[in-house]
Amino acid sequence: MIMKHFRKILLSAALFGLMSSGTASAAGKLVLDGSTTVGPIAKAFASHFYKETGTQVTVSESGSGNGAKSLINKTCDIADMSRPMKDNELAAARSKGVNPVEHVVALDGLAMVVHPSNRVNALSKAQVRGIYMGKYTNWSQIGGPNAPIIMIQRESNSGTQDSFKELVMGKDNPISKRTETQSSNGAIKSRVASTPAAIGFIGLGFVDNSVKALLIDGVDPDAKTVKNGTYPLHRPLFMYTNGQATGSVKQFIDLPKTAEGKKIISEIGFVNYY
Amino acid sequence: MNLGTRKLLDRAFTALGLGSIAVMAMMLLVVLVPIVSKGFSAIVFKSTVEHRKMVFNEFHRGNRSALEKEIAASDAARRNVYDMLSRFESELMLMNEDKQQEYTEKYDQVKSALRGLLGPLPGDSEPALTRLTYGQNRWEKAEEKLQELLYEKKWDYSNPDVVAKEYFVSRSAGFEGTSLARLFPYVEKNIDRMLLPEWTFYWGFITDSSVDSHIFGGIWPEIQGTLFLAIGAMLFAFPLGVIAAIYFTEYAREGFFNSLLRSANSTLAGVPSIVFGLFGLAFFINTLKVSESKSVLAGSLTLAIMILPTIIRAAEEAILAVPKTYREASLGLGSTKWNTIVTVILPAALPGILTGGVISLGRAAGETAPIIFTAAVSVGSAIGLADVFTSPTPALSWNIYNLASEHEAAAEIRHVQYGMVLSLISIVLLLNLSAVILRARISKKLKG
Repeated sequence: MIMKHFRKILLSAALFGLMSSGTASAAGKLVLDGSTTVGPIAKAFASHFYKETGTQVTVSESGSGNGAKSLINKTCDIADMSRPMKDNELAAARSKGVNPVEHVVALDGLAMVVHPSNRVNALSKAQVRGIYMGKYTNWSQIGGPNAPIIMIQRESNSGTQDSFKELVMGKDNPISKRTETQSSNGAIKSRVASTPAAIGFIGLGFVDNSVKALLIDGVDPDAKTVKNGTYPLHRPLFMYTNGQATGSVKQFIDLPKTAEGKKIISEIGFVNYY
Repeated sequence: MNLGTRKLLDRAFTALGLGSIAVMAMMLLVVLVPIVSKGFSAIVFKSTVEHRKMVFNEFHRGNRSALEKEIAASDAARRNVYDMLSRFESELMLMNEDKQQEYTEKYDQVKSALRGLLGPLPGDSEPALTRLTYGQNRWEKAEEKLQELLYEKKWDYSNPDVVAKEYFVSRSAGFEGTSLARLFPYVEKNIDRMLLPEWTFYWGFITDSSVDSHIFGGIWPEIQGTLFLAIGAMLFAFPLGVIAAIYFTEYAREGFFNSLLRSANSTLAGVPSIVFGLFGLAFFINTLKVSESKSVLAGSLTLAIMILPTIIRAAEEAILAVPKTYREASLGLGSTKWNTIVTVILPAALPGILTGGVISLGRAAGETAPIIFTAAVSVGSAIGLADVFTSPTPALSWNIYNLASEHEAAAEIRHVQYGMVLSLISIVLLLNLSAVILRARISKKLKG
């Protein structure tokens, strides 16, 4: 009888030992939340930072809006955002005693992507606006094959969506109700990659062979044109902290200024700001 | 109805029943076979020497001298490739400007295809991202990359009215007349000497942490997070649920209040799980502040509320199923009500209660929506037991979604996603199986 219990105790002790063998949290931890566009940078920084300092970094990709909310509710140390904070968010933050400080991480070009089988290689900004307003409904109207255009946008929580509205649509031009919504950069990419007549917009770091990035106003989106601002749909990517960053938060937020950090950003496909 | 029709109807019904069972079994096969076969490909696959390098450098496993021998052998085969590259580069320098421009673009494509296959080329600066430090880890992916190196995908836009068709152009033809033309047949012929594929059982997929956001390595943090969340939910929900069930069956008097409680419980069982997720965020994290950010604790509490109604119902049914004679015998011998509940009714009802509990455990392990806002992160390392009160964790259900849609290299690492799906299903299956066994053992014991 005693032996039987002993075995059980031993087994559960072994199980608990296995469970608690996670890396110790002595060196502190950082919690990041927010944009799916900044996500790849944040994740790569996280593993680099862990290697360098032993500080655990967790990253959630729930959208810029949720990142801002998390910072306001003090549930994250750093909010990743692909758009600047809005006035109402800043007001909400101040009323809760949070003082959001903006840090630019990298630059991003908003790439308009289509299926590689689409013969359209270049569009003007006005044409893109026309597509999303519902003015053009068939690719043949803008030099493409005879196929109805399937427009894809991001959800309202997305900073990329806000950037798109600001950079392309302008204030008075609503996006057509026929536009389909996907909830992340990756989802738009895979939707476009599997739909010959689709058009969507994603961060430059997400562009790969499965989709074709269009020239906008005759300019190819790449590191050079985004950096010098000739590509019209360019924007900064941000990380927000509560108050001026100190300690490991500061160390993390300063990564884009270091040589290693710059290398990571350009290897992922985004553009260095510093 | 005469006998003949009755027999006919009877047979028709039997056939219908058998038919629907066959359809069910077919559906199950259609769902399970790909899950199992694709899931296992994450663990058992043909690995290249790059995979063994990665395991040795990142996880310090493997035989150093054997690996060094392998690397030397593969380097010997690769040297020719690198020599051809440098020869072509010096050839390129001597060309006139137009030709130089024409070839440089094509040459860059060749180089990036080679990097995807073999890792960084000599002369490249050391990459900062681990995903670029190694060549192709998996042989079946390497074969795809080889095709990309040998053939360029192009699109036929000649007919403006229809969607273009793809066609492939041999890259070696593009370098006809230069020294690089020899590279393509050489790589095609010697690819296995350069990558040394062999069948591997990579158990590290279960026990390792991920490297460079799931590009390499395993899924242990996710498995552990899932177990923590499910067990944590159980720790809260099980005692509460059993106590509530005892109250409902033994103490509550029928009346307005009691029926209100019961209907509240049934309603709770029907609430969509995302609502629990948002409630968990608003209540546990923002209002009660059980933790500063997302945490396993907040996630467990949220999951606990979600599975509570199921546990209460199962426990209630189990208690009601205990024969009345047990109760009467116990009370007749002079035992108190509380004593009867603890020593007679609960032990007799235990198998039923436990079954309900373990099935809810499986549900808690598989739910995504309640943990999105309360516990789950897309990247994080395995946490210790001491961290469950403060740290968020990756979890299988959420990371499967993340890899399927949000990950920047989703198409490259489908096998990780498949492996996660298989692990999650295995965990839930094991939990349910243990419920069956536990139930059988306890009922045997009770029968004496």
